[in-house]
Amino acid sequence: MKRKSKSHSLAIFLFLLPALILFVGLLIAPIIMSLYYSFFDWNGLKALNPSEDFLGFGNYTILFGERIQFGKALLNSLILAALSVFVQLPVSLALALALGKKIKGERVFLSIYFMPVLISTVVIGQLWLKIYNPEYGILNTFLRAIGVLEGDIRWLGEKNLALGAVFAPTLWQYVGYHMLLLYAGVKSVSPELREAAKLDGATDGQVNRFVVIPSIKPIIKVSVIFAVTGSLKSFDLIYVLTNGGPMKATEVPSIIMIRELFLKNKYGVGSAIAVLLILLCFFFAILIGAIFKERDIYGKK
Amino acid sequence: MKRILACLLVLAMVFSLAACDKKDSNDNKTTDAPAASTTTDAPAASTTNDGEYVSSILQNAVELTLWDIAVEGDGNRPAYDAAMADLKAKYPNVKIVETVTENEAYKTKIKAAVGANELPDIFFTWAGAFLGDFVDAGKVHCLDDVLKKYVDNGELPEAMLGNSTYGGKHYGVPTTMNVVGLFANMDILASVGYDHIPATKEELVDCCDKLVAKGITPFVCAGKETWCVTEYLEPIMEKTIGATELNDIFRNGKTWNNEGIKTSVATLQEYIDKGYFDPNGIALSNDEAKAKFMQGQCAFYQNGTWNCGDFSNPENVKFNVSVGEFPVMDSSKSKAGQLIGGPSDTIAVSEGPNAAAAAEYAVEFGRLICHYGYLKGSGLPAWTPWGDLSEVSPLMKTVTEICNKANGYVLFGDNAMSAEIANIYLEYVALVYGKEIDGEGFVNGLVKEIG
Repeated sequence: MKRKSKSHSLAIFLFLLPALILFVGLLIAPIIMSLYYSFFDWNGLKALNPSEDFLGFGNYTILFGERIQFGKALLNSLILAALSVFVQLPVSLALALALGKKIKGERVFLSIYFMPVLISTVVIGQLWLKIYNPEYGILNTFLRAIGVLEGDIRWLGEKNLALGAVFAPTLWQYVGYHMLLLYAGVKSVSPELREAAKLDGATDGQVNRFVVIPSIKPIIKVSVIFAVTGSLKSFDLIYVLTNGGPMKATEVPSIIMIRELFLKNKYGVGSAIAVLLILLCFFFAILIGAIFKERDIYGKK
Repeated sequence: MKRILACLLVLAMVFSLAACDKKDSNDNKTTDAPAASTTTDAPAASTTNDGEYVSSILQNAVELTLWDIAVEGDGNRPAYDAAMADLKAKYPNVKIVETVTENEAYKTKIKAAVGANELPDIFFTWAGAFLGDFVDAGKVHCLDDVLKKYVDNGELPEAMLGNSTYGGKHYGVPTTMNVVGLFANMDILASVGYDHIPATKEELVDCCDKLVAKGITPFVCAGKETWCVTEYLEPIMEKTIGATELNDIFRNGKTWNNEGIKTSVATLQEYIDKGYFDPNGIALSNDEAKAKFMQGQCAFYQNGTWNCGDFSNPENVKFNVSVGEFPVMDSSKSKAGQLIGGPSDTIAVSEGPNAAAAAEYAVEFGRLICHYGYLKGSGLPAWTPWGDLSEVSPLMKTVTEICNKANGYVLFGDNAMSAEIANIYLEYVALVYGKEIDGEGFVNGLVKEIG
């Protein structure tokens, strides 16, 4: 009996081994390497000399100095995360609830809302660059047509406008993604539960509030984690639209990381940013998990 | 029906996976020479055939990887194509796998490749500190042996190798040489009474004032790509403090604490305040800024002379275009003929099993890019020109005349300085263009951070 159990465990281990090797090799090892490099003043080109290049926590201190302004970039990411949670997700949820009611053309709407997720970010970036163009962009043209604007607004060229202008397409692009996640959750809610609530006299809004939303809480939690960690890692669309400019107004940690790593050859500083991003993502994932865990659907701890 | 759909989906997935595994991506261009991938250890002996140099090592079958920035639409693309076609005919057993990447992305990619020890056999690079970092890391093959014959027979002036020489050894093949040129729409200038490019500071100001009064934007500058702002600021600095002084600051560690630098920043910002620059330029990429000039939306565009090819093409530009140098700002310290630029575009070879063959190919490739680049208007020749030069465009001939009269060159700032310092410098230049800091702030900031 014991031998059978042992061979069973061995089989499980062997089957899990390839995935474990991939997980350690592709995820854990690079994180450990980044942590190691973050303690050195290394340009990434020459061989690392541990005794001469060791800097301790120097790279982490540099990050919060006047030169790099990592704090400001992090704040930008946190603003994006807040907008994702408090604007993007409610919109996604509203769309998911609406589509979950078996409305006419449900599939068509689902495809349309999901389409931006399928389009390459570079294409979306180019599209929005045209929308924001001060001279011929559709946004300024529309504002001029309705008489609100005379002249040009430089959406991506003004420091006080650029951040909002960059965040708008970022939020818009992933509404469909979160909507699809939440839609799957809405669809999984038992029709009997809805019918029971209806028989008790609940309105559509009350059914959503007291039946559907509490039932899809685990999916909402996943969406919030994706939205927050995605915001912390945001890079591609901002890179295409402004590359962090004008005057660092739209910089986020990943933009600084790329600049330090590959333009300034400061691998130590770049690795320190990577490590901080990983830690922040873990921290927020755990925090969000804890917030959602606090009470179950019956209100008990 | 469902089964057919499922089969189609599975097939599509298999093809996708196969495509992922394929070495050549969409960006890769492969010559049609016979495929061969063996590495040869044959000695780099050479033979002469009717006076033309023929490499014996390149007679063997060899596959060489090449990375460059000559994307479709780039001024250098026609020269690269012509050079590769010539070499394909000359060395049919050599297979070149080319990967082309856009300029800014390339800077990231090539550095990552150096760090990961994954450099291609042959690669485009910028001379000066950019290539110097790779040489310091021991990743670049020395080309002394291969270049010697070309230097000895006068085909390659040794002066052109200065920017790619480190510790007395040559590590790069210069292709074209470029300077910053002041391109002008002569039809627009004529409308304000100018039949020539303003030659003095007073003329420039007068011309720009007249243009602004007429509702025409004099300059367009791409603020999204800071190197484009340096194409304006560096000539102003050079024509204010002189080429020697600027060279000392850029390359010899002389302090930035210079009154002339403060004045230069003030001059640029004064021109911005007076409406000489397109206010929308701050959010434009270089392609967008260049397109504005080519569409006749502004009078001047100051950028590298690699643009001569595009501006000489009547399909691109429907007006008379001319090129000149930026006027002298302070005649007590600078004079006409002092230019920003020099031989910077370079082909280099990585250390590796194919280094010997790659070195032979790279030198001939660089020589041909230079030849065709001059003919097609993408740059001045770093090598002694040969063959029929009647194809050279009038715009490029003007640039040649400007360079013939040159009495001082300062290499592009971001090429002259090391990567870290160059990027600090670029950050401050961006702040100047955005008017976040004045001349005092620019100098103080750079002194504090660079020295």
